[in-house]
Amino acid sequence: MGLLTNLKDSVSRVTDRLFASDDPKRIGIYGPPNAGKTTLANRIARDWTGDAIGPESHVPHETRRARRKEGVDIERNGRSVTIDIVDTPGVATKVDYKEFLDHDIEKDDAIRRSREATEGVAEAMHWLREDVDGVIYVLDSTTDPFTQVNTMLIGIIESRDLPVLIFANKIDLDEADIKRVADAFPQHETVPLSALEGNNMDEVYDKIAEYFG
Amino acid sequence: MPHQCTNCGHIFPDGSKEMLSGCPDCGGNKFQFKQGSVDDATDAPDAPSDSQPAADRSTDSPETTSTAPESPDKTATGESSTPTPDPTSAPDPQTADSPPTTADPNTTGEATDSAVADAGDAELMDSTSSQDGESPAQSTARSDIVSDDELPDAPPSEPQSPTADEPRDPATDPDTPADETASEGLDQLRKELNDQFESIRIVSPGQYELNLMELYDRNEYIISLREDGRYVIEVPDGWGTDEPN
Repeated sequence: MGLLTNLKDSVSRVTDRLFASDDPKRIGIYGPPNAGKTTLANRIARDWTGDAIGPESHVPHETRRARRKEGVDIERNGRSVTIDIVDTPGVATKVDYKEFLDHDIEKDDAIRRSREATEGVAEAMHWLREDVDGVIYVLDSTTDPFTQVNTMLIGIIESRDLPVLIFANKIDLDEADIKRVADAFPQHETVPLSALEGNNMDEVYDKIAEYFG
Repeated sequence: MPHQCTNCGHIFPDGSKEMLSGCPDCGGNKFQFKQGSVDDATDAPDAPSDSQPAADRSTDSPETTSTAPESPDKTATGESSTPTPDPTSAPDPQTADSPPTTADPNTTGEATDSAVADAGDAELMDSTSSQDGESPAQSTARSDIVSDDELPDAPPSEPQSPTADEPRDPATDPDTPADETASEGLDQLRKELNDQFESIRIVSPGQYELNLMELYDRNEYIISLREDGRYVIEVPDGWGTDEPN
């Protein structure tokens, strides 16, 4: 079963590539809040363009509008792959201003952030529907991946037949459990990494070139 | 208070759900309150010149008034007709008063700078905050009863209420019909409206619940939430129109 699925995916990717246009693929970086999406986006952008995409923060929902970096050339094995990166706000089914209060944010500001974060989720879902050709799904490997948001988003991505890579982020932390992430979505390739520390980025770029090139 | 299509003048009786799917005559999706008695406002088209334009929607571009019937959500006046049981509170009927913008984050990033207020305890699609200076037309539009022929899926004399699951004191509900048939129809109507509209629920100011599938399934997308439960949506170009652009 797994073999057949992998074979089918490989054939599908080759076929897609044969008929793909020369336009760079637009790759959406998705995932729940605080998974490290912006850190990853900045890591990729800095590695290949020298620029960052957006501010990183421990505060959830720091990214409240989708941010895009176009024309990121990734060189792998003598060839260059160009992608557009879209760093999206973290997707959640509930947004509560109280979670910001723990980060020394005043109530009024927390309420505003909460509203903007909600708008950000709407925007992220809109991009997923309209504007991405592939998805990097970032998960915090120190947390349980079996959540409603993850299941729903992966399901939507699958329903659209978008190529998707699961990135098990934060492997530099002791509590990281890569296997748990891989077991949660066995139908997809899981790549461990630490976007913050830059661990395993070679494999990250190999896979990006393979899936989205 | 009946509504009137700003494009062709088609008049919708008070509480009509028909307009939620766009004007059946011209496909228009901008409406304004129509002054006059409810009895006058059946299906007879009327010239828009004698009506009262609502708020800031009196100027419509041709392309934004030509969407097809499958574009229910842009006409946010529909669900604001009777969203709250209190006839003294006045929702602003214009929940889509900003022009559509593009989905590009570079251009929409600054669209959300409105301050948060304390009146956001309504569903996204509702406009339940109290406002000063409500006209009698608006008050009537919210509190009047939906006519039988406008609600084929519901029994007659249904109060139209898309806010079924809101944390609102039931004691303040208006004279809801007590018989089971009415209750069943009301549930049906609520479900229908919730299915149609609900993608974000404002539990309280700063607290939101999101229906991800609903957000994903929507053609348009919500650009910004306003403090009073209003929202701004972006409507795709040529969305639901039959006309070539």
